[in-house]
Amino acid sequence: MNYARKVDARAKLDGSCKFLDDYSYPGMIHGYICYARFHHGIIRKIIFPSDFNLSEFVIVDYKDVPGSNIVPEPEKDQPFLAEKEILHWGQIILGIAHPDRELLKKFISKIQVEYSNLPALIDMHECLDDEQNIFGKEITIDHRLGLTIDPSWIRTRGIYYTPHQEQAYMETQGMIAIYDPDASSMFIRGTMQCPYFVKAAVEAIMGKTVAETVVETSEGIGGAFGGKEDFPNIIAGIAALLSYKSKKPVKIVLDRSDDIIITTKRHPSRVEIETFTNPAQKTIEKMTIDYRLDAGAYQTLSPVVLARGVLHSFGAYQVKDVFVRGRLLRSNTPPNGAFRGFGAPQAVFAIESHIDKIAAQLDLDPYDFKKINLLHSGSQMPTTQKIIDDHISDCLERVIANSDYQRKKDEFAIYNQQNRDKKGIGLAVCFHGGGYTGNGEKVLRSKVRLRIEKDARIRIFVVNTDMGQGAYTTLAQMVAESLDHPLELTSMELPNTSRAPDSGPTVASRTIYIVGNLLRELALDIKKSLAGSSLSTYVKTNPEMFPRDYFREFSPDPSVTFDEESFRGTGYRDYSWAAAVCEIKFHASTYHIEIRKFWNVLDIGRPVNIGIACGQVQGGNVQAFGYALTEFFQKKKFGRMHGFTDYTVPLSYDIPEIFLEFIHTDSPLAKGLGEIPMDYPAAAVRNAFHNATGIFIDEIPLTPERIFNQLRNQK
Amino acid sequence: MKINFLINGNKQVLDVDPMRRLLDIIREDLQLPGTKESCGEGECGACTILLNGEPVTSCLLNAVHADGKEIQTVEYIAQQPLGKLLIDCYDETNAVQCGFCFPGFLIASYHYLKNDGEPSLEKIRYALSGNICRCTGYTKIFESVLLACQRLQAGKV
Repeated sequence: MNYARKVDARAKLDGSCKFLDDYSYPGMIHGYICYARFHHGIIRKIIFPSDFNLSEFVIVDYKDVPGSNIVPEPEKDQPFLAEKEILHWGQIILGIAHPDRELLKKFISKIQVEYSNLPALIDMHECLDDEQNIFGKEITIDHRLGLTIDPSWIRTRGIYYTPHQEQAYMETQGMIAIYDPDASSMFIRGTMQCPYFVKAAVEAIMGKTVAETVVETSEGIGGAFGGKEDFPNIIAGIAALLSYKSKKPVKIVLDRSDDIIITTKRHPSRVEIETFTNPAQKTIEKMTIDYRLDAGAYQTLSPVVLARGVLHSFGAYQVKDVFVRGRLLRSNTPPNGAFRGFGAPQAVFAIESHIDKIAAQLDLDPYDFKKINLLHSGSQMPTTQKIIDDHISDCLERVIANSDYQRKKDEFAIYNQQNRDKKGIGLAVCFHGGGYTGNGEKVLRSKVRLRIEKDARIRIFVVNTDMGQGAYTTLAQMVAESLDHPLELTSMELPNTSRAPDSGPTVASRTIYIVGNLLRELALDIKKSLAGSSLSTYVKTNPEMFPRDYFREFSPDPSVTFDEESFRGTGYRDYSWAAAVCEIKFHASTYHIEIRKFWNVLDIGRPVNIGIACGQVQGGNVQAFGYALTEFFQKKKFGRMHGFTDYTVPLSYDIPEIFLEFIHTDSPLAKGLGEIPMDYPAAAVRNAFHNATGIFIDEIPLTPERIFNQLRNQK
Repeated sequence: MKINFLINGNKQVLDVDPMRRLLDIIREDLQLPGTKESCGEGECGACTILLNGEPVTSCLLNAVHADGKEIQTVEYIAQQPLGKLLIDCYDETNAVQCGFCFPGFLIASYHYLKNDGEPSLEKIRYALSGNICRCTGYTKIFESVLLACQRLQAGKV
């Protein structure tokens, strides 16, 4: 059954699905935040407007925090509420609540924060180019063999930059907190990816004042893409504090113009690559990578993004001698966080652009050059992890065939001689590791729960949220299929921390790959216990046994080891693979790149739901087209963004024809899918532009302004 | 100020601040939460309604703009034969992801189906150019609307 309609689709179409702002509770008041409107400084005084009755407002600052004011994250350095020093524009200073939402916003807009200014670093280039500006621990992967560089080897060097990218989920961040003083409990409802992270955050900020915290998601989550991995912790903490102080339910829903200013974004990157290639064998002999990310003002989860970034930085190639150095840098912009790909899109843009550059130096077609150097069964990554199949080569061969690459390339060469507008075709390949990096899944040890009711209905209890990617449908399918049970009788419950065990965060392409497969194993075990009969029959003949709960915990594969100091071992147990071809037209009079066609071939193992899988690829591709062409934060504009007027995401006119094929789908294993379609398109677009014009541009987005300047500089 | 209008077929008289956003009137005063707010500045189309039959972004309109007009929201459109046809098509293709933008897309595509309905990708792109979707990459949305146009032409409604 690898197709099923999404269980939540119709309610989302007719408007009946409840998103966070559609919930209301008796006595509920509105909460909001007051944040710094300067980049770096010391708060001296906060002046409230005199024409409001202050006593009507519930106001919290850091002094109201009964527990810890530090957000519990991998790197515990970010406060919920600023104390004295402000490190970035958008840093939250106060939480404020009032029954009237409009009055509340008027009040907040008139609050003055007096401060003394300190020097601030907000330009990503200044930040990333400054080697002294290191933030936290560096990561190295040292697979150097001490090769002597042969004078005949071709040296290729490039520095590749990628900008901030905003997740731009359609539903802005929001939380509702309901404090019950009698029960000493806190109930949190929100739009989020990680209910147990939110629970930990609320427990941290409330300390011992609250005995029990329960977190439940809203029915609909209006997109997330990583943006609702860690930021919801802060909003939940503040909502909880406001509810505790006011003794009323408090709802915070951010306006877009604030959401885009204060929330986490994709890390800007600077990746410098130097390679030496043997011109006779056409093999890459030596590679040195300096991978840097702008972490923003606090480290938060950047160290984990860095880890994934360096583990994807060397690309899907076999290179003898590799050295990778990964570092975080500090700036006075909001802490950068999770966004689909998590360090990999930056890495893939750099390495795939670089491979294109080497091929050009050798006067080879990038396809031929890639084919020679691709990882294959038996080859080794710089982490020493052995590759066990040739699926990346298979992806490449298929995408070349599907796109009619060679013929197009010849045809475009002729077209380009005769026309001012130029056509181009570009190629990119990549892998993406499923699940948490290294030992992450071992530490997480996700747990799942299934409940079989008296009427043979199966209820799935996990905390992985459906933010649009289809978890409600695919997880139910995986359980129903494993038990040969009707899908209509199998459903996933609304994620709730008091009912579902900690199945881990909804991140890292792990929902199907880790949680789904764990559910599948549990369901297969249950099936074995049915002694050959169907579940429905078994329940009917053994009614005394039901309802019954079943649990399972992730058990790590003991052969999988990873050393977190040396970064040697199994970075990820399973990789998804992809290859893509992009066809563009460059309009010479407007300097505009039009993406005309885009082909994907992916190995994600077995697609659980082919319709949902296609949607993931198309959606990931289009976010990456925005990354490649239009999306960035204007220099010095941090804090002055509005939303979709000055941050331009792709619209219906920007969409090319997207083709896709999944291969090796007969595999029993469903691997990660969510992130990989975001990783490679930017490089494919950039390589197609190079093919069209002969010009290398090593920074995205490829805006008309950037192309114009580059062309002018070359003349 | 008193404003009179017809919403989803029902007469309404409201005494409100004439500058109150129409979106807030629909969501809060009239308890019709299917109309969504995403950008609040008329860019994304999540708050699209039909005002005298034309798709408009309700976040940019004030109460006074509704006076004497007829409004239709997703709650009403979803019950109409063409609305149901579109819902079936969006559902069959698994086009919906997070769904936050879909009430807006439903209205924009309903307007297209009702007023033109030619199964033309270019025209559909134009009809939907006022709506942002961040999840789907639009491809399946186009596919769904094309399917609805074809079914309408084939008389299968």
